Amino acid sequence: MKIILCLDRVSHTYHSKLGETLALKDISFCLNDGEFLSIVGPSGCGKTTILSLISGLIKASKGQIVIDGEPVTTTNRDTGYMFQRDHLFEWRTIRQNITLGLEIQKKMTPQNLKMVDELIEKYGLKEFANNYPRSLSGGMRQRVALIRTLATSPKLLLLDEPFSALDFQTRLYVCDDVYNIIKNEKKSAILVTHDISEAISLSDRIIMLTNRPAAIAHEYVLDMQECKTPLERRECKKFGYWFDKIWKDLEKLENNQ
Amino acid sequence: MKKQERALYSEEHKKYLKNIKIKKVLILSAQFGILIGILVLWETLTHFMILDPLFFSSPSRLIKTAIDMFATKEIYDHISVTVYECVLGFGISTIVGALIAIGLWWSDYLRRVIDPYLVILNSLPKIALGPVIIVLMGLGIKAIVTMAILICIIITITSVLNGMMSCDPDKILLMKSMGASKFQILYKLLWPYSIPNLISVLKINIGLSWIGTIMGEYLTSRAGLGYLIVYGGQVFKMDLVMTSVFLLCVMAAGMYLLVSLIEKRVYKSR
Repeated sequence: MKIILCLDRVSHTYHSKLGETLALKDISFCLNDGEFLSIVGPSGCGKTTILSLISGLIKASKGQIVIDGEPVTTTNRDTGYMFQRDHLFEWRTIRQNITLGLEIQKKMTPQNLKMVDELIEKYGLKEFANNYPRSLSGGMRQRVALIRTLATSPKLLLLDEPFSALDFQTRLYVCDDVYNIIKNEKKSAILVTHDISEAISLSDRIIMLTNRPAAIAHEYVLDMQECKTPLERRECKKFGYWFDKIWKDLEKLENNQ
Repeated sequence: MKKQERALYSEEHKKYLKNIKIKKVLILSAQFGILIGILVLWETLTHFMILDPLFFSSPSRLIKTAIDMFATKEIYDHISVTVYECVLGFGISTIVGALIAIGLWWSDYLRRVIDPYLVILNSLPKIALGPVIIVLMGLGIKAIVTMAILICIIITITSVLNGMMSCDPDKILLMKSMGASKFQILYKLLWPYSIPNLISVLKINIGLSWIGTIMGEYLTSRAGLGYLIVYGGQVFKMDLVMTSVFLLCVMAAGMYLLVSLIEKRVYKSR
């Protein structure tokens, strides 16, 4: 299988007036093409830092990150970042919001716009395409945010707790929705979350980080092929087993703090 | 709203709508009532010499003065001079102030260097600079416009800058993650984001530029409504003073209305 991303002994230090904090220490892992990986860990351990490093928003103090054979040096077009909140621009229509990335990257070509319109149609946004975001529900807005991320055709999606701003009911539905769209478009994805059940229901593999400075504590390869979508997985027999195991490991880490 | 639709409303809803209407009428009639009441009281008190019309003028004298002034056409020169100064001060301070604010957003270093100066200039009573302005700009329109600009520009810079800085940093991060340049962040995110704030800055600046203009005319002028007010005070023609103040009110309201219309248009096009 093709490898899309590799982190090689990546460390990162934050500097502030009060001193320096080692946030990440020797993180190494790889991601296969089409794989869905989740990163969990104690709160404030530096999960988001990993995503920022991969997207090139910040530069690693040590180590190397390679996406599809190319080392990451600056913000790159191979990754698409999805935030906790949808951050749709209220003054742009849904379609204009979705084409934002293409505009920025000066890729508003006819075939790209056609691709965008296909995405809009395929994922049921056609009737809203010329509406403004305020007319959409929270779940629909997050779907638009995902389509906006997909519009620039990134190889790798970086999801930073994209469901945590939604209420519980919507969260389950949007989680399923996002998973299906990502699998449908055959994208690789890394999800950062503090919600263990969310991680289990979405991922092929889960990485657990230790407390600061974060290193990889555990790695779980989820053998749940028989249950595919997140909603099915929550009903799956093995779901309880994995939840228990991961929850206990996390508890141990948090007690060690 | 179509007629058929209205017919479908329940009695309760009709009553609710009627109440809203009644309230609106009540507010409007009270607003006019106050104006008329003041005018009537003013007229009667001065008519029966309870208040001396020489000091207080009166509505009827005001109307008479206005008619005389418009008859001689001289007043048009005064109005146009003041409006010209005010619009110039307003326009320059808004545009230059916004550009400076963008510059300060662009350079973190510059912002931190300038910050204490802005704070001090903001709290300085600009009228204190009057003699300096006259020495630098000479007597006349240039000095008046400079005074208007000085009064408007600092508040423009700080409120436009604060508006830009209040944008969610995650939105900027989102733009960056898509590979946006600083210029793209500015005109695709911060510019449209700031429009409501810019409109409120415009509204504040209207009031301030009138203050600046009249203050400037108090300092040095040979024409304009501020000049008429000073002159009227010196020769003890309170009718002239009051009429000029009244004309100022009308024009300030007109300019405010203009910005409100722009505001409506901007929000409609979104």
